[in-house]
Amino acid sequence: MTAVLERPATAPARPRRNWTAVALLAPAMTLIALFVVLPGVLAFAGALFTIDLTDNSWEWAGLDNLATVLVDPAVQHSLVNTLVYSVLTIVPSLVAGVGLALLAQTFTRGRSLLQTLLFLPFTANLVAMAVVFRYVFDLRGGFVNQLLAVVGIAPVNFLGDTALALPTVAAIGVWRAAALAMVMFLAGLTAIPTAVHEACAADGVTGWTKLRRVTLPLLRPVTVFVTVLTILQSVQVFDTIDVLTGGGPQGATETVLTMTWKLGFEYYDLGQGAALSALLLVVLVGIGILRRGALTR
Amino acid sequence: MTDALLWRITRIGLAVVAASIALFPFVWMVRTSIAARDSITVDGLSPLPATIDLSNYVRAWEEADLGTAMLNGAVVTVAILVLQMLTCIPAAYAFAKLPFRGRGPLLLVVLACLLVPTQATALPLFLGVSGLGLADTLAALVAPFATSAFGIFLLRQHMVTIPDALLDAARADGLRTLATLRRVVVPAAMPAIATFAVFSIFVHWNDYLWPLLVARDPALHTPPLALAVFQQADTGQDFGALAAGAVIITAPVVALFLLAQRRFVAGVAGGELPG
Repeated sequence: MTAVLERPATAPARPRRNWTAVALLAPAMTLIALFVVLPGVLAFAGALFTIDLTDNSWEWAGLDNLATVLVDPAVQHSLVNTLVYSVLTIVPSLVAGVGLALLAQTFTRGRSLLQTLLFLPFTANLVAMAVVFRYVFDLRGGFVNQLLAVVGIAPVNFLGDTALALPTVAAIGVWRAAALAMVMFLAGLTAIPTAVHEACAADGVTGWTKLRRVTLPLLRPVTVFVTVLTILQSVQVFDTIDVLTGGGPQGATETVLTMTWKLGFEYYDLGQGAALSALLLVVLVGIGILRRGALTR
Repeated sequence: MTDALLWRITRIGLAVVAASIALFPFVWMVRTSIAARDSITVDGLSPLPATIDLSNYVRAWEEADLGTAMLNGAVVTVAILVLQMLTCIPAAYAFAKLPFRGRGPLLLVVLACLLVPTQATALPLFLGVSGLGLADTLAALVAPFATSAFGIFLLRQHMVTIPDALLDAARADGLRTLATLRRVVVPAAMPAIATFAVFSIFVHWNDYLWPLLVARDPALHTPPLALAVFQQADTGQDFGALAAGAVIITAPVVALFLLAQRRFVAGVAGGELPG
């Protein structure tokens, strides 16, 4: 993994104003200021106003938006859902990712083919996959329910049941996140020096002992990184939920991002939407800093 | 049966199961897309439908107006890619090779921007874009992504490793900055540029949230948005046409992935992932 801020080879004694550099940087930095920094600031500023989109009027509201949002049961529900979704996704994705990487590593011939196939879920278009999964989990005639019928189990309303909808959506999240985890773990496994394997062979360390005492500890930095990345993606889950359930049934799959979208554009309370955005931003930046930390170590 | 053989069989068995789970939705998508309307649920679990009917593709293409959507998707994705290249390559070069006052702090700003996901700033971004009267324009779909902090950082990391001797030689040959960029820096940084290009196409072709916010006009719908709208409008449970639409919008990115998979996998494995 790339080190984050290594010193360039040419460190001049006295940097000065360099017009060439300014010209090369100006377009990118202007756009960054406009489309990243400004909206980031606006998320916090907007949270402090009551915004009316029809006449674009901003009325000072102080911390009212944040207070309203935090005591809103629907928002609280969405926060809990996001947390549950993350927990349901992260652990299975990590376990499946390590398992698949260990499995793929045992192959010499066909390893790259296996890696390609196992990685495909990550490259899929989420809206297209959600459309397919909605049919796969459909109450009448869906693949899973037809399969259950074969073994004599009555049809299950996976996406329409308040208790099952979130785990079902999370299962789709695992399907995708495990693919990403697998590739990263496989890279981690490949990076383990041959000397380690030779030393293990010489000492007669094999099988479970080797996995528990040698391989997994060596994978620790990768594990930290993959964990943070999976959390980051879970907290931002949107596409699959919007298409599969729209946050329902009865808010059972409402997450922070779908809630922000609803507050802002269905209830037209942009101030409250911005307040939730700002909250999400703080959390995501926090996790992102952890990720950078994991990357540099 | 020897242990080695047993182990071999177990391994292959596990690999087949894992690959089946990974591929199942893709297979089922294609299978549903070619099934005649009434045989979709009737044939239940069989891997091939009894009656093959390609009219699903025609219905999807016409009813979801996928022709327009695919064209929009291509225009938006290519426009973003070109603009990102034009802005990120020079900026990355300046950060990597040109000494100037404030380089360190400015690079930290770029790094900080890497932490800000568009999902969390989409709402204020939308306020700004609609305030400027740009909502429901192609520009609104492209402009916010005209540069990329991720791209600048990724390219800078690779450009740092270009030997200074190479750049000095270019200067000795009388090349100006832009010529140096074009003839020396870009070829030397090509692997990183290609990785970034693949990620950029992948992310922006698949993007759903931002088009959902700014492209209310159906004439501006991008492929994922058109498919989502098509599904919401579907009242007759026309799964065949929906699956056909899913195949159509998925095919370009899967093809891109299969063509550029080494780059893609290497980038992901190295932790260089946007977002």
